[in-house]
Amino acid sequence: MTVQVRKLDKISIIDCSGDVDLYSSPRLREALMAEIKTNGPSVLVNMSGVAYIDSSGIATLVEGLQHSRQTKTQFGLFGLRPNARSVLELARLHKVFTIFDAEAEALEKIGSVKPFDGV
Amino acid sequence: MTRIVLGSEPRLLNVLRAVVRFRAQEAGFSPSDSEYVALAVDEAAANIIRHTYRGSCDGHMALEVRRLPDRLEFILEDWGPKVCEDKIRPRPLDELRPGGLGTFFIYSFMDECSYDQDYKKGNRLKLVKFLGKGCLRNDGSSAKTR
Repeated sequence: MTVQVRKLDKISIIDCSGDVDLYSSPRLREALMAEIKTNGPSVLVNMSGVAYIDSSGIATLVEGLQHSRQTKTQFGLFGLRPNARSVLELARLHKVFTIFDAEAEALEKIGSVKPFDGV
Repeated sequence: MTRIVLGSEPRLLNVLRAVVRFRAQEAGFSPSDSEYVALAVDEAAANIIRHTYRGSCDGHMALEVRRLPDRLEFILEDWGPKVCEDKIRPRPLDELRPGGLGTFFIYSFMDECSYDQDYKKGNRLKLVKFLGKGCLRNDGSSAKTR
């Protein structure tokens, strides 16, 4: 798994690709927490390169969401592949996260997302 | 029959997933369902690493995949302390908290899940997926529930 962070104006985009599992999710967590703590007000996770995500990866995203609520950071995901989306839906988390289809939509709309949306 | 023995190292889980995906697709499961089956077995193996071996990479586990006429069986063995089966329950989904989804995915995607109580060397978990039975319904819910 690779994790890279881009900055576009006041938005941090975390590009994540590969498998997010018990081995790799700590690296995503580290990047996510660092961006939410230091670089808000908006953090997006680009999931378009994520071929696989397990419960530890989902737990990392939930932790990021909870932390974003504490810090009043706008937080969203985009580019979910069908399997990753299905797993979130099965766990009933698709309505908890703010999810965009693609980066352009995410960049356009993240500014209007209330930090507590999806509660 | 396929049998592999792995160290209890999280970085080796992708090897386990590759074996499960391959055997599931070979048995006729769609790529998507093979992915869900691999997720369920991965979660069970991750539980061994986290709970049985408490994160230590010094332990070992074995995965055996058996193809029977009507099903695939995945047998996971470890040589750690016995788990208390009564404590292994999927958590309620209305709670928003980071952990506890692994068991939920195992129960959602597999048709049977049971521990061999006669296995004395550690734990032996059997996961069963019946052939021709998808993992999800068209509405995205688990094929097992409802």
